Amino acid sequence: MIQKKICLLGASSVGKTSLVKQFVEGIFSEKYLTTIGVKIDKKVLSIANEQIQLMLWDLEGNDSYNVFQERYLRGAAGYIIVVDQTRASSFHEGVDIHTLARQVTDCPALLTINKSDLPATWNIDDSENKAYQNLFDLQFSTSAKTGANVEEMFLALAKLILRSEKDDIAT
Amino acid sequence: MTSLLNKVINALEQIVLEVTDTNTGTVQWVEGDGEWANDLFPQASNQQPFVINEATPFLQDFLFDAKLIWQAAENGKLRSGLWTETTHNNKALYLEAIAIKQEQHNLLIISNQREHFEFQQQTKQLAREVLLSYDRLFLKNEYLHTRLLSILKQPPEQSNILKTLTKVIENAEFAVLIASNDFNTNIENSAALKLFDQETLLSTQPSRPIEIILRLMQNQLPEYERILSTHSSWDGELCWISPPSTLKWLKVGFYPVKNKLNEVENWIIFANDISTIKHLVQRNEQLALQDMLTELPNRFAFLQTLEKQIIAKRPFYLLYIDINEFRRHNEFYGHDEGDKLLIELSKRMSAVVKASDFIARVGGDEFAIVLNNIDNQADGKVAIQRIIDSISKPFYAKNSASFNISISIGAANYPNDAQSVDELMKFVDLSAYNGKKNKKNSLQFYSQKMKDASHHLILVEQELRQAIKNDEFELYLQPIIDIKTNCINKAEALIRWNHPIKGLINPDDFIPVAEKSGLIIAIGEWVISRSCQIAKKISDLGFEIKISMNLSPSQVTDENLFSYLHSCINDNQVNPCLLELEVTEGVLVDDYSVAEKLLSNARTIGMSVSVDDFGTGYSSLSYLKKLPLDFLKIDRSFIKEIVTDDNDKAIVRAVIAMAHTLNLCVTAEGVETNEQLSFLIDNSCNSVQGFMFSRPIAVDFFIALLHEQKAAE
Repeated sequence: MIQKKICLLGASSVGKTSLVKQFVEGIFSEKYLTTIGVKIDKKVLSIANEQIQLMLWDLEGNDSYNVFQERYLRGAAGYIIVVDQTRASSFHEGVDIHTLARQVTDCPALLTINKSDLPATWNIDDSENKAYQNLFDLQFSTSAKTGANVEEMFLALAKLILRSEKDDIAT
Repeated sequence: MTSLLNKVINALEQIVLEVTDTNTGTVQWVEGDGEWANDLFPQASNQQPFVINEATPFLQDFLFDAKLIWQAAENGKLRSGLWTETTHNNKALYLEAIAIKQEQHNLLIISNQREHFEFQQQTKQLAREVLLSYDRLFLKNEYLHTRLLSILKQPPEQSNILKTLTKVIENAEFAVLIASNDFNTNIENSAALKLFDQETLLSTQPSRPIEIILRLMQNQLPEYERILSTHSSWDGELCWISPPSTLKWLKVGFYPVKNKLNEVENWIIFANDISTIKHLVQRNEQLALQDMLTELPNRFAFLQTLEKQIIAKRPFYLLYIDINEFRRHNEFYGHDEGDKLLIELSKRMSAVVKASDFIARVGGDEFAIVLNNIDNQADGKVAIQRIIDSISKPFYAKNSASFNISISIGAANYPNDAQSVDELMKFVDLSAYNGKKNKKNSLQFYSQKMKDASHHLILVEQELRQAIKNDEFELYLQPIIDIKTNCINKAEALIRWNHPIKGLINPDDFIPVAEKSGLIIAIGEWVISRSCQIAKKISDLGFEIKISMNLSPSQVTDENLFSYLHSCINDNQVNPCLLELEVTEGVLVDDYSVAEKLLSNARTIGMSVSVDDFGTGYSSLSYLKKLPLDFLKIDRSFIKEIVTDDNDKAIVRAVIAMAHTLNLCVTAEGVETNEQLSFLIDNSCNSVQGFMFSRPIAVDFFIALLHEQKAAE
């Protein structure tokens, strides 16, 4: 079975662990429990009759208490930058992390604006949207709480990873 | 290994593995034991070597980094950082690995870090909850502040302001008060009444929320008077103690709503009860006297120290240090980077003050330092220079981008300048505030002269406000002559102030005050309106003369300027081709994108644009190419010595040539002699302005001049 490492990156408290929990176990907890260090979960998907095991590296959020460490991206087939639609600062932090990540890997990168079940306090305007769309290979709006788009997001990234791998082989 | 050491290793919940093959990740279990370890490595049994494989992916990944340690010639050590491993039987283990190279032995220690993990989680959980709470508060305040400002700035006839305001603030989750400028009338929401609900005795009248907040500010903020007199915003924390049982920490935002004359019409006040957050923070602060972020003493610790210093009657200098443009820095780099800057700055400053000095973080971006045993300015300056030097080196953001900051330092001496905590704080606050007006590092010692200057400024500002109301300004026109036709084709509008007592005052003596006080916007609008009237009047007399008006930097960044300009043109039915905007180089460079938008709009409707005082500032050629411009005005300082100074000659020739290449026309300012004029004619300058032709004159005289010129044709 193919194994693929996917890292979840972003500021603290944006919902990285909740997205993984929703995706792997189908549950959501209202209680916020901060992640320390790294936790790896696994889930097998079936794409076009092919079994693929995703190794989901849930990394401790970045803030003044924990700086981003590029080494965790080693061997990653893709990564997800998670931002919180109720906190504009998490978006800027996410873009910063993406810039740092791009210095060590060019694997597929996905941006997800999480907590879509809550009212947004910021929006990317049209011109910004164009600029940021080019930064990421995929963009999603998710809710770890309701599960909206969570499965779709991981599936889309897995498909993209497989496709880009096949393209690489073909070229 | 002795059994005692084995017991120690087990007590520490560690196991020791010897790496037998660094390439395949094969290890041999050497020491240590425990259920957790067996759960982690079920493949290890009977002392047989085993391979660290994808069953423990984090550890497998760590082997890449560990290999560098094991394959090195020297002894070394590397930690993996904490990770959570879910075992085959679904147990969560909180682990850390340590790769060790010790005298040819390659070792891998796996440490069960449950306790350390739980401690870290508790601490960080708390810290992150506090960060989130502050973030949410900040967002809510910002949102409501913007919304209230837009409502309060609407013309009264356009909306039922009171009703709208009441509705908007009633839904806020925190206390909101909107007070008149004298704080006598105000509206407040239910949250405000609830927050300031007082357990009072029947005989005493409960205070209104606004009275409580003002009293707290007056008692707890040395800068209180300055905030009111300079119409400044303030936000920070206040402690409300009302016996027998009230002790609340409030995060208060205090914002003025100003009209065009820079007069305060209302105050918007927000108050959030942050007692719980404060409690959480204080749990992490040493005796509640340490600032959690920078680990420096906080404001309360500082005030206590200051009291002690004064009681001891030892001379000292008190410094108040404020980071210039910190808010902009936060907006640009984000709050986390802002926090990092504060930490780095506090470290740098701490490193250069003496052990006997005292440094504290006393506000958001404010620090205070007590320089002990210094009783003269010269010694004070030496110590302060060390601080300035320490912050002059670049800072680095997370993405490795370097940036510089500047600070404003206010300094006052005990006992010479003041002898009480309140007065000292008031003086250093005023000094730092005065120094803050430029964006560079500044040091301002408290002095009587400064206090007088501050009073003078307030006086002139009051007089200017009256002048706007009483229409005491007048526009003079200075002719600009087209060299080809030798006729007046343009005039620069220059403002004069007809002061009822002091007589005619030149702009140099009042425009800087108008700039500082924000009155420049109202004065600038008057200039635009009057220029349009004059252009129309002259045009109706049959003369096609362009009127050029100067824009100040604040006007260029005023987002309403273009619509105002446009409405004046329409109201006066003047042809926009008869109007020109003059901006200085500095504005173009500092506010490029704003300037570009404004100037493009102006040119779209037919106005022209000129760059004033060219050559005295940045003289950046890149903006000349990019911006929509028509004229360059060469500053008088280059024209003055043009006949005798070869350098000036070369500069003027080069500027004219460059301008013409870029399809710009050139006007020379300050032309006073025939020799200067000849040089400019010889070098294809387009137009000239100066005392040789005419000083700035009243409009009627200017019109008479036009008639004379026409008669002479």
